[in-house]
Amino acid sequence: MTIHVKGLTKRFGRKHVLNGLDLTVTPGVTGLLGPNGAGKTTLLRCLATTLAPDGGSMDVLGLNPADRVQRTELRRRLGYLPQDPGHYPHFTAFDLVDYVAILKEITDRRERHAEVRRVLAEVDLSEQAKVRVRRLSGGMRQRLALAQALLGRPDLLILDEPTVGLDPEQRMRFRAVVSKVGESRTVLLSTHQTEDVAALCERVVVMDGGSAVFDGTPGGLAATAAGRVWLSEDPPDAARLFWRTADGRYRTLGERPAGGGAAEPGVEDGYLLLLGDRARVAA
Amino acid sequence: MNAWHVHADLMGRYLSGSLDPALAMSVDAHLGGCAACRAAVPYEEEWLAGGWQRLADEAGLPASGPAERLLLRAGLPGHLARLVTATPTLSRAWLVAVVAVLAFGVIAARQTDQALPLFLVLAPVLPPAGIAAAYGPRVDPAHEMLAATPLSGARLLLTRSTAVLATAFALAGLASPLLPAPPWLSAAWLLPALALTSGCLALSTRVPLPLAAFAAAGLWLTGVAAAAGAAGDWRVSFHPAAQILYGCAALLLTVLAYRRRDRLDPGEPR
Repeated sequence: MTIHVKGLTKRFGRKHVLNGLDLTVTPGVTGLLGPNGAGKTTLLRCLATTLAPDGGSMDVLGLNPADRVQRTELRRRLGYLPQDPGHYPHFTAFDLVDYVAILKEITDRRERHAEVRRVLAEVDLSEQAKVRVRRLSGGMRQRLALAQALLGRPDLLILDEPTVGLDPEQRMRFRAVVSKVGESRTVLLSTHQTEDVAALCERVVVMDGGSAVFDGTPGGLAATAAGRVWLSEDPPDAARLFWRTADGRYRTLGERPAGGGAAEPGVEDGYLLLLGDRARVAA
Repeated sequence: MNAWHVHADLMGRYLSGSLDPALAMSVDAHLGGCAACRAAVPYEEEWLAGGWQRLADEAGLPASGPAERLLLRAGLPGHLARLVTATPTLSRAWLVAVVAVLAFGVIAARQTDQALPLFLVLAPVLPPAGIAAAYGPRVDPAHEMLAATPLSGARLLLTRSTAVLATAFALAGLASPLLPAPPWLSAAWLLPALALTSGCLALSTRVPLPLAAFAAAGLWLTGVAAAAGAAGDWRVSFHPAAQILYGCAALLLTVLAYRRRDRLDPGEPR
């Protein structure tokens, strides 16, 4: 067990963002799904020790983030890619990762530079090492942020929406990097991309309203939609959750529409059905 | 075509390092052009590959900036030099702003004695203003990313604060002798600057850093104005008795900031 969270609460003003959340994360890749405001980022910030929760308890890699000494030890063993990583635009890609490596206490210059080169190569940015960050594309900056998270081969990798801004090829490469890390260590990532969860994650946790509303495998999430996914030639009742697919047919979730045939459910179907009304608004 | 080759005896002495320098250089030159003789020189492949790799790594390193080179020459460890010079506040824009403020104070003081207080009152505000812009989510674009590293929190803030303080002190120290005032009065900004900086750091354990800097500066400006109004002499805030007070305050506030340093960590429970 890498992470054990019990009764975690966090409030911003009057808004309860985490609402007594219980969660256990084991080695491998775990995906966090949920609508905006579900509390995913707040949870990841608490686990990454950049935000203190108001209540509840956390055990991360056997350490208590509320304790100063254990928190510092935890920071030595985790890699964190925040939702909005931010950059120093006048730094080169190498300098930025080198700077984070210093803050991760890799003080030996030779060792540090070798590590910086390794992580830049892992995210395919070796060629851009001497390019200033302001000249990098959005996707390259995202990969650069991922590179700094990989410094020191962390035991726990926390990634908040890591695939934002990546093109399909880069996403494939990202998946390869993350799944490799997940073979021996723990990766917890939040995403809006259900296909990332289906392709990468052994476990998926769906959050809503500051609590976990589903915890299981991607297959299990898809199975919750069994018998509630339909394909039809004609558009169904507008009150239903549906969309037009690439082949011109209509995919409907919930009750069977007139003329609808059963379809194989996917992770996205299970997720949307779980969210219910909010999913309909989002769609 | 090269008919001459390094014979066994000469090679043996070359490898043992017993050749005189001129002859060793001749052998070096020959080895550079003769693959047959080169093949006779034993070497460890792994060691040679490692050497080439180290050379390539060194050649591929990004060049250090002038400030970093200066700190390295001053004896600061490489990782600290890089950490300090990467402080966001220590940008060209901030340095230009500080120099402009100080230059304005000096020029105004040299034009008229009545402008001397301007320099003495403004100089102590510069370090806390710089520190306020050196750390925190509002001023540091990469704050969230860096906050999850072991050196974040108090250690990073204090490293950056020291860099800002040293820079502001160096610049104000260079400007002070240009003031048309006795040396003790020209340097009278120093202890208030230390006290304001310590006060700003101590206060930042309670409120956000920019607010702490603003409060410290506001308190200072109000205090100086009130004291000058009450005593009818602007110098009263810079007299030796006041300097002792600033020194004590700086010491106490530094201790307070140190004792509360954990609260500077974003992950510390409140």
